[in-house]
Parts: sequence; structure tokens; C-alpha cells
Amino acid sequence: MLLLQVIVGGLLLGAIYALFSSGLTLIWGMMNFINFAHGEFVMLGMYVSLLVVMYLGGGPAAFGFGAAFALFVLGVVVYLSLIRYVLRGPMLAQILSTFGLALLLRYTAFWIFSANFVSLPQTSLSGTINVGGILMPIPQLVAGVIAILLTIGLHLMLTCTTIGSQLLAVSEDRGAAMLMGIKPDRMQALAWGLSAGAAGIAGALMAIAYPWSPSVGETFGLTAFVVVALGGFGSVPGALFAGLIVGLIQALSAFWFGPIYKDIVVYALFVALLWLRPQGLMGKA
Amino acid sequence: MNKIPALSPTVLLAVALLIYPLIFSGAFYLDVGVTFLLAAISASAWNIVGGYAGQVSVGHAMFFGLGAYAPLLCYKLYGWTPMAGIPFGIAASVALAILIGIPTFRLTGHYFSMATIAVAELIRIYFGTWDLVGAAIGLQGPATARGWWDLTFRSELPYYYIFLTVLAVLLSFTYLMERHRFGYYLRAIKVGERAARSLGVPVQQTKIRALVLSAMFTSVAGSLYSVKTGFIDPESGFGILVSVQMVIIAALGGAGRLYGPLIGALILIPLQTATNTWFGGGGTGLTFIVYGGIIVLIARYEPGGIYDLWEQISPRRWRRKHAS
Amino acid sequence: MLLEAHAVSKSFGDFFAVRDANLSVGEGEIVGLIGPNGAGKSTFFNCLAGDAVPTSGKIIFDGQDMTKAPPEAHARLGIGRTFQVPATFEGMSVIDNVMVGAFLRHPHQGDARDHASRIIELTGLKAQMDLAAHSLGTPGRKRLEIARVLATNPRLMLLDESLAGLTPTELQEAIRLVRKIHEMGITIVIVEHIMEVIMTLAGRVLAFNQGHVIASGRPEDVVKDEAVIEAYLGRGSHRVRRRSA
Repeated sequence: MLLLQVIVGGLLLGAIYALFSSGLTLIWGMMNFINFAHGEFVMLGMYVSLLVVMYLGGGPAAFGFGAAFALFVLGVVVYLSLIRYVLRGPMLAQILSTFGLALLLRYTAFWIFSANFVSLPQTSLSGTINVGGILMPIPQLVAGVIAILLTIGLHLMLTCTTIGSQLLAVSEDRGAAMLMGIKPDRMQALAWGLSAGAAGIAGALMAIAYPWSPSVGETFGLTAFVVVALGGFGSVPGALFAGLIVGLIQALSAFWFGPIYKDIVVYALFVALLWLRPQGLMGKA
Repeated sequence: MNKIPALSPTVLLAVALLIYPLIFSGAFYLDVGVTFLLAAISASAWNIVGGYAGQVSVGHAMFFGLGAYAPLLCYKLYGWTPMAGIPFGIAASVALAILIGIPTFRLTGHYFSMATIAVAELIRIYFGTWDLVGAAIGLQGPATARGWWDLTFRSELPYYYIFLTVLAVLLSFTYLMERHRFGYYLRAIKVGERAARSLGVPVQQTKIRALVLSAMFTSVAGSLYSVKTGFIDPESGFGILVSVQMVIIAALGGAGRLYGPLIGALILIPLQTATNTWFGGGGTGLTFIVYGGIIVLIARYEPGGIYDLWEQISPRRWRRKHAS
Repeated sequence: MLLEAHAVSKSFGDFFAVRDANLSVGEGEIVGLIGPNGAGKSTFFNCLAGDAVPTSGKIIFDGQDMTKAPPEAHARLGIGRTFQVPATFEGMSVIDNVMVGAFLRHPHQGDARDHASRIIELTGLKAQMDLAAHSLGTPGRKRLEIARVLATNPRLMLLDESLAGLTPTELQEAIRLVRKIHEMGITIVIVEHIMEVIMTLAGRVLAFNQGHVIASGRPEDVVKDEAVIEAYLGRGSHRVRRRSA
């Protein structure tokens, strides 16, 4: 029963991984670009939630929207002021732009919020629920379920709406999209907004259930790399599937080998993937 | 001056570095000098693969850390002089470089960058749990020298000249590399991999060789660090900031330029020393905020670093004279 | 035969970019590949250059099976290629660009430089030798690409629209250069849009449409071929716009 509880806990955390990783994979799929600051976006989403709760009040809906909105804006601003200029530049500029941004955000957060772990004050979401003998903390359950729904929602938005098909058109053929009257720059800014927004809301969900410090950004960023590599670069359903697997693997390795090993196992999985299936488990060969 | 125009900056630089400790002989200035040399060595080593080949590693600390752990591990296990561990560090780094290079260099440059940062973190966390290498506490070298071969000196002066020699060797190597077929191939791969292949450049093999060479020198830099400080732990060996420093120094000065890392170190190390002195311990965090900002600005405005900036603003004639 | 392609097909999913294309090129020939945009000639060309691996079929160069060989192996065995959009090494000087090619047969820097200098003289780039590649205009960069390939001492040169987008005077110069290369004993396969270029240069032509080879033979016969005229007529307006642009 304990093992079952570990598995469910891992899957619920994995659902949040899936949500923020789908933001990373969206950018990769659309513009062949890796955002090294993506984990920091999640971390900022968590602090925005804290600030909203502290200064504006309101429940999870309020800080969820607050984090999503704040990060959406940040994503658009980052694209318009930085990414746009390095997108077709040398590899050095591409990598350094978001790598530098990650450092800037991470250490600014350390400076403002200190390195101490914090958590949200008790919200209306608390307590545990007994599902068939498994004790589930309600915050984890709510956060995980919402994360899955949002990831599916993002996928549907990309595949079934006009905006989604316009985004897709830009990623497939920039020139053709321009001929169709789509403005690639605007669409890419939107993609960055969506990507960061997904990270922000994932941060808010994470904040409901887990404590954090500014250093979590780095871990989440690397976790997102692993999820995206596993699910196939550019695939949101792949990210959902892989996010759940990574969450599960983490929970099980923490359970069997000890908490220190949860990241080691996941990063080792990443290296193994590069050797064996760089296109991802679900990607095409 | 007119007779040997290309040589004179090099000679001036060499003379300046040689006599620096004689002029600034205080312990503080000597320490700054040694820190500067070590930073210049590490960044120059990074430059081979990150600058010349254009394969941006953001986890070079893995080689630095392996190089740093090897000497002190040899001392801990067998009581050997730490120097004896240097080849082991190099061997481990070369093996790791090949292990990472083979799968990632078949793919676009992003995979390499992601793999480097993930592997560096993997090793850092693992070393933090591994008792043989002292886990989170790390390793220590000989407290007092048993002989000159322990390279444990009370004064910083011997380290200064040892480091300077290594830097000179590395820069000479890079200078020769630039003029060799290998150097041309690296530059070609950096700007046009597809075109390079069509001209018969063995791209994959050339990139791996660049990474291996870079890893070797980075490993030596790590060994120098731990032999001098007599101490290493996961953070100072494999921490992300070790990698960041190599990247920022090379990119700030000019990635893919012989003297780029030197120029970068010349600016950054005094700056870092100054902020640390003025702000005390609290300055460290601030330093990294500034680092992040500088990296973003380089990426956005001048990926060629100060070297390229200088070429743009300097008079045309100077440029032509130094073009080839 | 120097180069032979047997029933080469290349598909992307369900879409066949090239279907059952055959080609044989004898030593010393100039063969042209023509066809409207998206006809498959570029994909076929990339298969010949080793940049794309055919889905099926075989490519033999000088008795060796090259079907799955990577581009660098093509270069080593004597197949050189240019790119439709010039892919010169931008930050490097003209001589350094050519030297990258020269290093293939001359591993030592001094020899490579000498060889590259000779090639640069031959291709008329001597005045721009020390300039950065990106400071050259399109015609200059196309010429530089040819020089770079020439420096690898190829036996067969694959030219991908190396003469497109040139002014009439530049075009005449470029044609002279291709003739000069041909006179050196190098076999040439050339992809071109512009009929006139093919007519003056090629001894034999293959016309592509929708992935198929629809005609082959002497250029003056192929341009009279009904299938070819039809393929081009449908795109006639397209072609005029492209040429005036």
C-alpha cells in the first residue's frame, strides 16, 4: 500500500512536470530553441503566487491566474527584447541568452527572497483524502489533476484552434505563413507567452503542494530537459506522457534508494536517452 | 614597433605578466594574480570547443572537477604527491568527453549544451553522496609540504609562475592550432557544418577532438586549483558557477579568439575581487546577478565579445594589418 | 560511366519527392537537370551529393556504391558540390574559405595555401583574396563556393543553381568559368532554372516533373519535348517573375 501511495504521489508530481515541460517543448518544436531559463520561470511562478497570497489575498484561483498572467507577460517581454535578436544568430548567442537570463533570475530571486525554503500559508486546500486505502494529500491531488487538464488543454489549443494552427504554420514554414498573412514575430511572441505562462501556472500548482527556494529553478529546468528528451522534442502529448514517467521514476528511486538519488537517476536517464534514442521515446526515428 | 607589429602586443603582455608579482608583491595582489591566471587557463581551455568549434558547453565544470579531485584522491588513498593525480584527472576527463561527444555531436548544438549541464549536475550530486571522495565535505591535500614535490608552498609566488607557464603552453598550443588544418576545420564547422562536410571535413571527429583537447586542459586547470588550495568539494569542483565563469570570461573577451579569454579575465577577475571586497560575503550573490546580466548583454548585442567590439571601432588600417 | 543512379527514389512519408530516377554520367560530360520548382531535381541532386539518403535505389560513383555514404566521403572520393543558397564560411576570409577545401588533399598549411592561391587566381577572386566572405555579393559568393569545391580536386562537380540570380554580364563570366573547369577534365552535373544556361553548357539534359524524369537527351530535343513544355508552361508565369526579380 505504501508503494502504491508512492506511485500515485510520483504521478501527481509528474503531472506538474508535464505541464511546465510542455511549455519548453512548444518553444523547441516551434523555433528549434532551448530555453535554459525555463525552470526559473517555474520558480518565479511560485514566488508570484506567494506574493499574491501575501499582498492581495484570494484563493488558489487568484494566485493561479496571477502567476500565469505575470509569467505570460514576462515570456512575451523576454521574446521581444532578447530572443528575437538571437534566434537566427550564432549558437553561442542562442545558448548564452537564456543561460544568462537563468542566472540573472535565479540570483535575483536569491537576493530578494533569500535561500530559505518557503511555502504558501495554509489555504482552503488542506487535509488528506482516503481513496481506496491510499492517503492522498488534497493539495497534491488538486494540483496534479489540474496540471493534467491544463496540459491536455494546451494540446487541444495547439491542434484544434485557429491560433494553434497559425502557431503550427509558423513553425513548419515561416515564409509560407507570412504569405498567409500570419505575422511570425507576433506568433512567436505568443508562443513564448504561452510557454512561460504554462511554467508560471505550473509553479502556482507546485506552490500549493510543496515548499521551495530559489534553487528549485535549476532542478526544474533540468527536469524539463529530461521530460522533453524523453517525450520527443516538440511534442506536447509526449511531454505529458514523459512527465508522468519522470515523476514516477523520481518517486520510486527516492523510495528505494533514498531521496538524494531521485535527481541522479533522472539525469542519468537523460544521458542514456541521448545515447539510445535522441529523438525521444515517442518521437519518430 | 613597426618591424614586428604582430608580435609586440604578445611581448608586452608576456613582460607584464612576468614582472607583475615583482611590482605587486603583496599577498592580496599576488592572490588576485593567481586567480586571474587560473581563470584565464580555464576559459582558454573552454575556448577550444566553445569558442573555436562553436559547441557551447555550459557544464565544463565536470572536467575541472575531475581534474581537481584526482590529485587529492591520490593523496588520500595512497599518500602520493597530489601531482601524481593529474594524469588520472586528464584520463577521466578524456573518457567523459568522448562519452558525451559521440551521441550529442550527431545532433544540433543544443543537445550538446543540454547534455553538458545535465552531466555536470549529475556528477556534482553524485560526488556529494560518494564517501570515497569525501561526499559533501570533499577532500584535503597535505597540510604541510613533505618536499617540493607536494607543490605545497606557503607563498603564492611559485604558484603564480607555475600557472603562468601552463597558460603560456596552452596559448602557444592554441596559436599553433589556429594555423593548423584542425583550426581551419573548427572555424568552418562553427559557421557552416553542412558546407564543411561537403568539402570533406570529418565534422563529428573534429568536434570530438576539440572537446577532448578542451577537456584535457580544463582538467589540468582543475588540478592546479586543488593542488594550490589543498581542498576540493562538490560545489567548488563541479558547481554550475565554475562552468559559468569559464563561459562568461571567454565570451566577454571574445570566444574563438586567442586572447579573448585573457581579455575577459583581465576585466572580470578584478571586478569580481572588487565586489567581493566592497560587499563582503553578501557581494557573492550580487556578483552572479551581474554575471547573468553581462551574459545576456553579450548574447543580445555583441556575441563576439570585446574583441569584436574593438575591431569594429578601431581604425580600418589597424584591422587590415592584423587581419590574417 | 563515372556516375550512375539506378531507380533512385526519395520519399518523405507518403510523398515521393523523387521516383525511380535514372542517370548515368560519363567522364567529361556536362549534364543538366531541369524542371519547375519542386519537381524533385534538388532532392535528386542532394541524393547524388550524399546530403540525403535515397529511400530506394542505388548510386554508383566510379564503381563504388555511394548510396548511403555521408557527404564527407563524397568529397574524399572526388565529388564536390555547391549550394543553392551560397554557404560560404562567413567570418573567414576568401583565401581561408578556399583553404578549407584545399586541406582535403594538402594537409599542411603551406601547401594548402599555395594550392588555394592557385585556385583563387584561376577563378578570378584574386583581388578579393583577403576580404571576409560576407563582404562579397551573391555573385562573388557563388564564385567562392565553386573555388572552394575546386580546391578539393574533384573529378565530378555538382553545381546547384550556381548561375542563378546573376546579371547578364556576370552570367557570361560564370559560364566561362564553368567551361574552364570542364576543360580541366572535370565532369559536371548542373541544376538550373534558366533554360538558356543549360542550352549553352550541357551536352545532355534530364527534365524532372513531380518527382519523375519526364525526358532526357540532347538539350535542343528536350526543350521541344511536349511533356517538358507542358510542365514548364503551367509554371510559365512563375518563371518570368523569378527571372525579372
